[in-house]
Amino acid sequence: MITYIIRRLLLVPFLLFGVTVLIFAMLQLLTPIERASLYTRDLPKNDKALEGFIKIYGLDRPLYEQYWRWLVGVRDPQTGERRGGILFGDFGWSRTGSQPVAQLIAQRFPNTVDLTLWAVAPVILVGIWLGVQAAVHHNGWIDQAGRIFSIIGTSFPTFVFGLLVLMAFYAKLGWFPPGRVSDWANAVINSPSFHPYTRLLTIDALLNGRLDVFLDALRHMFLPILTLSYINWATFLRVTRSSMLETLRQEYVTTARAKGLPERDVIYKHARPNAMIPVVTLAGFSVVGLLGGVVITETVFNYPGIGSAAAAAASQLDVVTTLGFALFNGFILIVANLVVDVLYAYIDPRVRLS
Amino acid sequence: MRKIFFILSTLVVLSMILSACAPQTPTAAPVTQAPATQAPATEAPTQEPTPAGFKSKDPTTLVVAVFGEPETLDPALAYETAGGEIIQNVYEPLIFYKGDQPGEFVPMLAESWTISEDGTTYTFKIRKGVKFHEGGDLTPEDVAYTFQRGLLFGGTHGPQWLLAEPFFGTGIDDISLLVDPEGNLYDDREGIKAADPEKLKAACQKVKDAIVADNDNWTVTMKLAQPWGPFLATIAQTWGSVMDKEWVIEHGGWDGSCDTWQNYYAIPSEEDPFTPIANGTGPFKLDHWTQGQEIVLVRNENYWREPAKLQRVVIKKVDEWGTRFAMLQAGDADFVAVPPENRPQVDEMVGERCEFDLQANTYKPCVETDPNKPLRLYVGQPGVTRTDIFLNFNIAETSNYVGSGKLDGNGIPRDFFSDVHIRKAFAYCFDWKTYIDDVFRGEAVQSPVIPLVGMPGYEPDAPKYSFDKAKCEQEFKLADLDKDGIPAGEDPEGDVWTTGFRLQALYNQGNTTRQTISEILASNINSVNDKFIIETVGLPWPAFLRTIRSKAAPYFVSGWLEDIHDPHNWYVPYLIGTYASRQNLPSDLKAQFKELINKGVAETDPAKRHEIYKQLNALFYENVPTILLAVATSHAYEPRYVEGVIRNPLFPGFYYYTISKK
Repeated sequence: MITYIIRRLLLVPFLLFGVTVLIFAMLQLLTPIERASLYTRDLPKNDKALEGFIKIYGLDRPLYEQYWRWLVGVRDPQTGERRGGILFGDFGWSRTGSQPVAQLIAQRFPNTVDLTLWAVAPVILVGIWLGVQAAVHHNGWIDQAGRIFSIIGTSFPTFVFGLLVLMAFYAKLGWFPPGRVSDWANAVINSPSFHPYTRLLTIDALLNGRLDVFLDALRHMFLPILTLSYINWATFLRVTRSSMLETLRQEYVTTARAKGLPERDVIYKHARPNAMIPVVTLAGFSVVGLLGGVVITETVFNYPGIGSAAAAAASQLDVVTTLGFALFNGFILIVANLVVDVLYAYIDPRVRLS
Repeated sequence: MRKIFFILSTLVVLSMILSACAPQTPTAAPVTQAPATQAPATEAPTQEPTPAGFKSKDPTTLVVAVFGEPETLDPALAYETAGGEIIQNVYEPLIFYKGDQPGEFVPMLAESWTISEDGTTYTFKIRKGVKFHEGGDLTPEDVAYTFQRGLLFGGTHGPQWLLAEPFFGTGIDDISLLVDPEGNLYDDREGIKAADPEKLKAACQKVKDAIVADNDNWTVTMKLAQPWGPFLATIAQTWGSVMDKEWVIEHGGWDGSCDTWQNYYAIPSEEDPFTPIANGTGPFKLDHWTQGQEIVLVRNENYWREPAKLQRVVIKKVDEWGTRFAMLQAGDADFVAVPPENRPQVDEMVGERCEFDLQANTYKPCVETDPNKPLRLYVGQPGVTRTDIFLNFNIAETSNYVGSGKLDGNGIPRDFFSDVHIRKAFAYCFDWKTYIDDVFRGEAVQSPVIPLVGMPGYEPDAPKYSFDKAKCEQEFKLADLDKDGIPAGEDPEGDVWTTGFRLQALYNQGNTTRQTISEILASNINSVNDKFIIETVGLPWPAFLRTIRSKAAPYFVSGWLEDIHDPHNWYVPYLIGTYASRQNLPSDLKAQFKELINKGVAETDPAKRHEIYKQLNALFYENVPTILLAVATSHAYEPRYVEGVIRNPLFPGFYYYTISKK
C-alpha cells in the first residue's frame, strides 16, 4: 500500500509538468502582443513601446526561456516587481473579469465548491441507489421505469431542463430563486459582523449561527442541484445497474445464496461492494467535473461559480483567462485523481497488488 | 458503501482545502458595462391609481436585472449608460433636467445661475449645507475643481470633448490640443508627460482661468470661448457631476496643481482609482459593487432634500434572458432588460397601456386593458438612440479579428474598408426590413441620415441604401483591394471577388439586438459569394469597448445615445469624433466633414443650418463610412405597483429618487 502511494505521488510532478507544457503550448498559438497580458493589464498603446515591452518580457525569446519566465515570472525593470509567474499563482490579467485571473478564480471557486458540497450526495448517492434498485428488480417495473427515466434524463439538454424547472419552481411557484442568496442575506453576508471563516457560504452561515442565511443559500442551490442530479442520475443508474447485474451473476453470489444467507445480506453485503468499483471511478470524475464548474447550469441559474466565469471568458476569446481556468482545472484533476487512486487501492486490493 | 462515503467525503474535504488555499479575494476590481436597455421612453405624467391587487414583495427595495456592467463610476470618464445610471443616482450636477423634458432645467447643486449678455459667462450660486456621502461639505472649490479636473482628464474615450469645445472653442475637443494644436497628442499619455512643461502649465492655467471659484460669494464662474447654446444641457449630464476635491486627492486623483496634471491625462478606466468607488451628494450611496454580480445602492439618509422613498436599489447582472424573465414573473425583479425580440413574452403580462402623444410631447393617460395583468407598457415615443454598423478604415495591427491579415481568402488586409466599393457592398447587403421586423417587431423607422426626426439636417427623402444583393455583388466586383487599378470582377490576377476573405464581426455579448444586426449582415454577405466568410463574435462590454477603442475591430455594431438633443451631437461623434476615431477615418475625409460641421454649428438660422447639413448628408452618403440602421420607438415596461418613474429620453437609466413601490 505504502509503495503504491509513493509510486503514485512520484508521478504527480510529471503530470503537473505535462499540464503546464500543454497549456504553454496553447499559449504559443497567440501573438506575442496577446501573450503580453500574462504580465500586464496595461499594454502600451503605441507600437514602439510595445516592441520594447515584448523585449523586456522576452516574448520573442526561445520557447524554453519563455516557458521558464512563464513559470517564475519576470521582474519589472523599473519597479523590480515580479510580473507573471504561475508558480506564484499569477496567471495573468483577466480581460473579461477585470481583475487578475487568480483573484477571479479565488472569488468564484468557493461558490463552486459550495455547490459541489451539496450536490455530491443527491447526484451520486441517489444515482447509485436507483441503479441498485433497478438491478435488484431486474426487468421488473422499477427497472423499466428507471430505464425510461434515465433515457429522458440523458436526452434532455441541461439548458432546456434548467429553464423548465426555473419556470416551474421559480417563475410560477416562487419557491426556489436563482442567484446565490437573497438580497437580505447578501446584506448580512456583507456586514462586518459576518466572518468568512471558510468562504463557503453555507458553512460560514452555520459557523456564524445564521441558520436563516444557510437555508436561504440552500434554497438558491436547490434548482442547480436538481438539474445536476437529474442530468447525472442517468449515468450513475446505468453504470451501477450493469455492474450490479454482472456481480449478481458471479458464482460467489450464488454461493452466498446457496448457503442460505438472507437476500438482503447477499445484495448489500456481498454483491454491492464489488459492484461499486467502476462507480467509484465515475464518482471521482463527477466530483472533479463539478469542481471544474458546471457551465450551463451556473449560467441558467445565474450562479456565480467558476463555470459561468470560464464560460464568459471563453465566449469572449479571453484566452489568458480561459487557459488560467484550464490550468486550474488541470491542477484539481491531478490532485483529485491522486486521491481517488489512493482510495481505490484502499477499497480494491487488486489495484495495490498489481 | 461506507467506503464510498469515505471517498466522497474525502473529496469534498479536499475541495474545501483547495478553496481555502486560493488567495483571499478583496472585493474585486472594476469593470464596465453594456447599455442597459434600449431607447428609454418619456414620462408617465398620469400615475394611475394602482389597482388594489398589485403589491410588490418588498416595497423598500427595488431590484433591476440587466446584462452588462458599468465601465467606470468616475464622472469625468464614464460615457456609457450603465455607469451613467449609477453616477446619476449617486452624484449630482449643478443643474438637472426638469422631469421628462430633455431641454428644461432645474437647480440642483447650483441654487441659481446667471448668464452674461454676450452668452459667454455663466455664474452659478452654489447651494449651502450640502454634504458628500463620506462627510465632506460641498464648496465652490469642489465645483471648480471637478470641472477643471474633467477638462484636464480629457481623452477621446470619455465625455470631456463635450465640455472642451465650449471652453476652448469649436473644434478644440481635447486638452491635448492646447499643448499640441496638430493633434499628435490625443490620448498619448506618455507624449503629454514628455511635452514642453511651459506649454503644459499654460494649458492648465487656461483651464483654471476659465473656471473660477469665489468662496466669499459662494459662486463659481465659467467663461466660455464663445456663446454655446447647449451649455446648460451639457453640464446637466453625468459628466457635470460634482466630486469632493479632498476626497479625490486622498484617493489618488489629481492634486489640483498645474505641475502634475499631465500625469492624470486620459487615464483608462482600469487604472482610474475612481472606477470602483463613488462619493457624491446624491440621494443614494454606493453600498457595494461586486463585479460580475451586482451593484447595490442604499438611501442617503442625510440627503439635502427629502430622502428617497426607496431604501435600497439592487442592480443584478443576469446575462440569461430566461432567468431575467423568470425573476420578473416571480416578482423578484421590478425592472428587467427586455431585448426587443422577447417582447411578445412580456406583452402577455401587460394590463395597462400608455401611448405617446407626439403633439403634446408626452404620454397620454394610461388605459387599462386587463385588470389582472401586472405590467404597465409605454409605447410610441421616438428614441434618442440608434445602433449602427461602423466600418474601420485602418484596423490596428494588434487585431485578432482579421484572420491572416492579408487578402489570401483567409483574412482581410487592414485597409479593407478604405475601399469605398467594399463599404457600399456591405451597405447594400444589409436587410433593414428583416432587422426592423425581427428586432423591433416593426416598431422602428430606417434612418436616411445621421440626425433624428425633427432636427435640422433630417431629410426624410434623402437617398439611402437599401437591401439589394445584386448591387452588393456589383460593388464587390468593383472593389480593387490589390490596388492594381483593375476592378475585382475583372482582375485576372485575382482580387477580393475571386480570393474571398474572412473576418470576425464584433458585438457586445448579451446585447441580442447587436448580435442580430451582426448576423443579418454576415449571413447576407456570406451568401453573396462562398468565399466570403464573416464570423460573428460576442465580447463582454468592457472587452468590446477596449477592442473598438484600440481600433482592432474590422467593423463593429454599436449604439449612440445622444448627450443633448441637437444634430451637432450626432454629426460630431459619427464623422469627426468618438466613432470617427475608432473607425480610423482618413484625415482628408474628416477635414471635409469638419468644415461643414463647424459651419453648421455656428449658423443660428435653422433653415440655413439645414441647408449646410444637407451637403453634409450627401457627402456622408457618398462615402458611407457607417451603415445607418433604424430608430426605434419606445416599448418600456414597469410593474403596476411602481410609481414616479420619470421617462426622460436623456437619462442614462432610471432616476431612482422619485420612484416608489407599493
